[in-house]
Amino acid sequence: MKLLSRVARLAVTAIVLAASSVNAQEVLIDKSEIRFVAKQLGVNVEGRFRKWKASVVFLPADLAKSKAEFDIDLASIDLASEDSEKEIRAPLWFDTAKFPVARFSSTAIKDVGGDKYEVAGVLTIKGIKRDVVVPIAIRKDAAGNRVGEGAFTLKRLDFSIGTGMWADTSTVTNEVTVRIRIVLPPAA
Amino acid sequence: MRRFVNARYGGVAIALHWLTVALVFANLTLGVSMVPLPLSPHKLQWYAWHKWIGITVFIVTCLRLAWRAGHRPPPLVPMPDWQRRGADMSHLLLYVLLTLIPISGWLYSSSTGVQVVYLGLFPLPDLVPKDRTLATVLKWTHYGLNSTLFAVVIVHALAALEHHFIGRDSTLTRMLPSAWTRSRRS
Repeated sequence: MKLLSRVARLAVTAIVLAASSVNAQEVLIDKSEIRFVAKQLGVNVEGRFRKWKASVVFLPADLAKSKAEFDIDLASIDLASEDSEKEIRAPLWFDTAKFPVARFSSTAIKDVGGDKYEVAGVLTIKGIKRDVVVPIAIRKDAAGNRVGEGAFTLKRLDFSIGTGMWADTSTVTNEVTVRIRIVLPPAA
Repeated sequence: MRRFVNARYGGVAIALHWLTVALVFANLTLGVSMVPLPLSPHKLQWYAWHKWIGITVFIVTCLRLAWRAGHRPPPLVPMPDWQRRGADMSHLLLYVLLTLIPISGWLYSSSTGVQVVYLGLFPLPDLVPKDRTLATVLKWTHYGLNSTLFAVVIVHALAALEHHFIGRDSTLTRMLPSAWTRSRRS
């Protein structure tokens, strides 16, 4: 009987361990990036965020349990110059004193075939929430890491980014293309 | 009656010279005015115009050098050797600066990660990747070259005025449009 209960306990431990694999997988932040590009007077101007956190659970066989959450430190923006970085932290743009973090939280992940997925979720910037869908293609790199890449376009004015004298979209386009690359270690 | 009035620059050389004067004057003024402005759409527009004018200076300078290669300028009017050497050196220096300054500006723009799109229509290739340390070096290079240009232009203009009003030779008038000099002589 003692043996049986020990087996039972082991089985429970195994189940708990298996369930815990639903925990977030470590994102290889150094290999990953969140970049964006907008047009300024007809010129592509690119930038990226230096600091952000991600919590990703990606189970191709169980998309219902899969989830992706991102917290982006808006003040960590990397732009052409320190002047423009200072400007974009100001109230007319991100207002990072009041809204330091942009957040994306997935609501549903859909397999669209050929290692491609559609990640639907809610993007929150400056306290404004908008639904977005981010198409992601997954591939493996030389080290066996899983690399997810995708891009989507947001309208900056939907989130009150660049108001007042910057609202004129002939100076800076309303459309901003966001490109992300998320690198996950090989599936366990 | 001024001496050597016939040894004039050709019409094309005169036109390109004064076009350069206008463009350089406009761009130096724009350059020093726009830098201290707080960031605004207005400032971005001025930077765009500054880059377009600068690229135009580069194109005009290439055209001038090509034209000059086929059409030798008239010999200098008689003057002391030190003046002759000074004139040759400053002309050479002006050509070098008019070529290097637009390139240094283009390099600087590339190093900040902002592509130059000439007249908002023609994207020029980025010469260097975005690099903040390099950008700082290139910014001061652009500034230093322009300060040198400003100094050489002052010497160049003062020398021409000295030859005109004090030496009373044709150094200045042979670079003026002939219609203008004819009306002044009559």
